[in-house]
Amino acid sequence: MGRIVARLGGIGFAALLLLVLLVVNVWLTPGRFQPSGWLLLLGLAAPLIGAAMASTPAILSGRGGIDVSVGPQMGLINAILIKVLVLDFGIAHPLVLVPAALLIGALIGAFNGFLTTVVRIQPIVATLGTYLILSGVTLTILPAPVGPAPVWLKSLAGPLAFLPLGAVALSWWFISRSAWYDQLMAVGSDDRAAFTAGVPVTGVRFFAYLLSGIYAGAAALMLSALIGSADPNVGPTYTLIAISAVALGGVSLAGGRGGLLGAAVGALDIFLLQNALTYFNISTFVLQIAYGSILVAAVVLTALQTRAVAARVQHV
Amino acid sequence: MPEPAIETRDIVLRRGASPIDERVAAGSIVGLAGLDGHGQEAFLKTLAGLDRPVSGEVRFERHAVTGFRQAVARGIAYLPRDRRATGIFPALSVLDNFAIATLAQDVKGGFISARERRARFARYAERLSINAPDWSAPITTLSGGNQQKVLLARALALAPRLLLLNDPTRGVDVATRHVLYDVFRELAREGMTLVILSSEIEEILLLCERVLVFREHAVAARLEGADMTSAAVIEAMFGRSAA
Repeated sequence: MGRIVARLGGIGFAALLLLVLLVVNVWLTPGRFQPSGWLLLLGLAAPLIGAAMASTPAILSGRGGIDVSVGPQMGLINAILIKVLVLDFGIAHPLVLVPAALLIGALIGAFNGFLTTVVRIQPIVATLGTYLILSGVTLTILPAPVGPAPVWLKSLAGPLAFLPLGAVALSWWFISRSAWYDQLMAVGSDDRAAFTAGVPVTGVRFFAYLLSGIYAGAAALMLSALIGSADPNVGPTYTLIAISAVALGGVSLAGGRGGLLGAAVGALDIFLLQNALTYFNISTFVLQIAYGSILVAAVVLTALQTRAVAARVQHV
Repeated sequence: MPEPAIETRDIVLRRGASPIDERVAAGSIVGLAGLDGHGQEAFLKTLAGLDRPVSGEVRFERHAVTGFRQAVARGIAYLPRDRRATGIFPALSVLDNFAIATLAQDVKGGFISARERRARFARYAERLSINAPDWSAPITTLSGGNQQKVLLARALALAPRLLLLNDPTRGVDVATRHVLYDVFRELAREGMTLVILSSEIEEILLLCERVLVFREHAVAARLEGADMTSAAVIEAMFGRSAA
């Protein structure tokens, strides 16, 4: 019980915000929020949720851990799946495309992990390099959008929208019950203490980047399902907004605190905010101002809450 | 003389310092003393495989110690000095802090079993009389002495045959100290070898059968039995000049 409370603690504001935004959205656009439209909405929100969840493991690993290449990873995998595999080679079977997406994600994740844990380049610099490389490779493979995506893939953003998100959530549920998860949280909160306690710090961190890559592969499937085509320019836009969602969801950018659930709630917040503001026909520029303000407010509130809890603990 | 648990073969801690050739018998308690920064900490860390000697070799049960993780795997446990910097994980619970070094023992059918972890911790909580009302609360809710006991429980959970303690009672209240002393003696009786670095001479005199006094990164004196007096230790610490 205490463990659950401890895990939900950081999500507090994001969850509250989610509730408020849900009420506002249902009130503004009751038509879109009919139960029959839920799967469609989930499909719309999925790439952002997926990108936020993919960003989380690397951030949890601490010492500046971050993977800013999640967006371009989604873009590249989207391009390879639709342009190369489906259109050029005519391979459209789910049993090929799904493993291919996850495998490419794993390879990129392993590359990021190698740069940050073995070569020991600062994570933001290393993954920024990957960001640029991947964006360039994507535009080389695919200078302009092409399509379409296979029907089964598009259905992952419609009637089967729960499938990819559910798979990621289920895998994380299993992972959070493994020894590696405990080691990740320990490494994220204090890597020196973790080393002295005998935790294989480098290996644990490497796996965090690998996992971020695999989840980025899953997010790429969600993105491909939603846009139903290959588009070289969509992927990279997810990086910053995903990191905002992660921070909003109570995941500490210093590492060791938070989880995929918080990241998903943060992503839903941003999605619902977007939905509510577009109802008023507000320009996308104002939308960005709103994201930024809410993010700063949420992070400040979370910090205040954490401090309040810490103060209470001190008095005991 | 019984088989030594750990021996150092002419290890040199710092370029130009005299080599140290020591043997510690299994089941004994050896103290390390010295003015801060005179090599006793480097010696302890070298035994743990955390530091590498300039030359020479550390051997534990006839195997060379080559690195920290290898040392832990062979049955050496190390309790760090700076509890806040390199010991506890402030954000993690008491239970998670305890279990982090021995996660594999909690795994049942591929997954961590919370019940198994509680059961394991219960044994140490009783033995070390750890006063923790809520095991799921962050470790920072405990007093300094109880945090130290949780760290000791973490080390003991590895079931080590050699326990290296780096100033284990620093910042710990008197009552807790005596609990720890009793535990250390009991562990030695059960056959564990203990090497204790302490900044308090009284503690070493109370606990240890033998003390190595360090000066300038070498052993200035080896004292045991009737020679082990506060005055003798202090003399050696100051190189006999201040005595």
